[in-house]
Amino acid sequence: MTEKRTADFGYETVDWAEKAARVRSVFASVAGKYDVMNDLMSFGVHRLWKQFTLSLTGLRPGQRALDVAGGTGDLAAGMLRQVGKQGRVVLSDINPAMLARGRDRLIDAGLVGNVECLVADAECLPFEDNSFDCVTIGFGLRNVTDKEAALRSMHRVLKPGGQLLVLEFSKPTLPGLAPIYDAYSFKVLPWLGGIVAQDAASYRYLAESIRMHPDQETLLAMLTQAGFAQARYHNLSGGIVALHRGYKL
Amino acid sequence: MAETPVWLAAAEAVLNRNIASQARARRLAGRLEGKSLSVDVTGVLALRATCLGGRLLLCREEAAAEPADAVISGPPAALLTLSTGGNRPAGAGSVQVRGDAEVAAQYRDLLRAARPDWEEELSRWLGDVPARRLGVFARRAFSWGRSARRSFGENIAEYLQEESRTLVNRVELDEFLRGVDHLRETGDRVAARLKRLERRLQDAG
Repeated sequence: MTEKRTADFGYETVDWAEKAARVRSVFASVAGKYDVMNDLMSFGVHRLWKQFTLSLTGLRPGQRALDVAGGTGDLAAGMLRQVGKQGRVVLSDINPAMLARGRDRLIDAGLVGNVECLVADAECLPFEDNSFDCVTIGFGLRNVTDKEAALRSMHRVLKPGGQLLVLEFSKPTLPGLAPIYDAYSFKVLPWLGGIVAQDAASYRYLAESIRMHPDQETLLAMLTQAGFAQARYHNLSGGIVALHRGYKL
Repeated sequence: MAETPVWLAAAEAVLNRNIASQARARRLAGRLEGKSLSVDVTGVLALRATCLGGRLLLCREEAAAEPADAVISGPPAALLTLSTGGNRPAGAGSVQVRGDAEVAAQYRDLLRAARPDWEEELSRWLGDVPARRLGVFARRAFSWGRSARRSFGENIAEYLQEESRTLVNRVELDEFLRGVDHLRETGDRVAARLKRLERRLQDAG
């Protein structure tokens, strides 16, 4: 008898095949209020985290970049400015509702012509090998069912010398921060989600999924395991968020 | 442990942007592909620089897995003088280079070629006018600091030499040293004469 494969969905353990659908329903529910909730929850600091990520892409005009699980397109918009009109950026997300929000925001910002938006699963990206100079995934990896497969897939589509940037919630390292952060995550976030997005459960999932996500060193080892060289990470806001980087050689 | 501080990542991003925009820096980075340099700022921190894919990667020395091709160590002021290409010799002698000196020299050239224009970097965040004003203010503050340090030193020296007479001044010192030299030479002459007299006495005896 084969053992049934399971995955974490927050603190719940669900069937492996079920997680993607449940994550999709969470993000379909919050897509409309996603940006305003990000600003409220992080007091606007998520913009600095993303700006820092963009400052490390090393992208130059004419290059190609991929934003995986790009959601409402913050990183894609920044990379579009970096690669210019001669370059190309692909914004992908597994969730059509989030992707539609991202596409609309890019159009509203006048960023058109050299951007593609497509629904894609991070675990099996529909691109040829060695296609992109830089791949980013911002606050998306923890929602992926098979994270190892997603990292391998992102490694495959990177050109040799290309860089992966993983921006994700992580484990606080600043002494004394963890209990405050826990209280905020489990009390304030669901309450805020209930009031603003009328969906407390999705924001409870957010807090739980962050706790179940690999910590800095574990994710670093996963990057190395997926084939990335010179892997390292930067703790942001006392380790609440970490930016992991690795190169394909 | 591969945690790299944010400030180091920011410095790396600025240097890489400058490398990408300058043909000479790109050539140097290409020549240094795979080579690494360890910079040990005595008592402050140790960093590792590695060129990979035409980019410069910076991390803490303890995060590096393999030994560096070259190691430069020295006090902060001496290393700063070396990296900025200043010709002030003070402290330069206290910089030590171990390993492949050619790699160390090429890294020095790369860092000079990719040296950031801080006013330009600030203008990306603050805008041109505030960055320019901040730059002018910083230069004035630096210049004031330098002249204040010099005049403070001169005032202290003057007090110690002329008022408290704890130390002698340069003219008196030179005169004293000349006197010592004169005394030594006179002593040597007297010793030579005595030896000559001794020889004559022995010959006469």
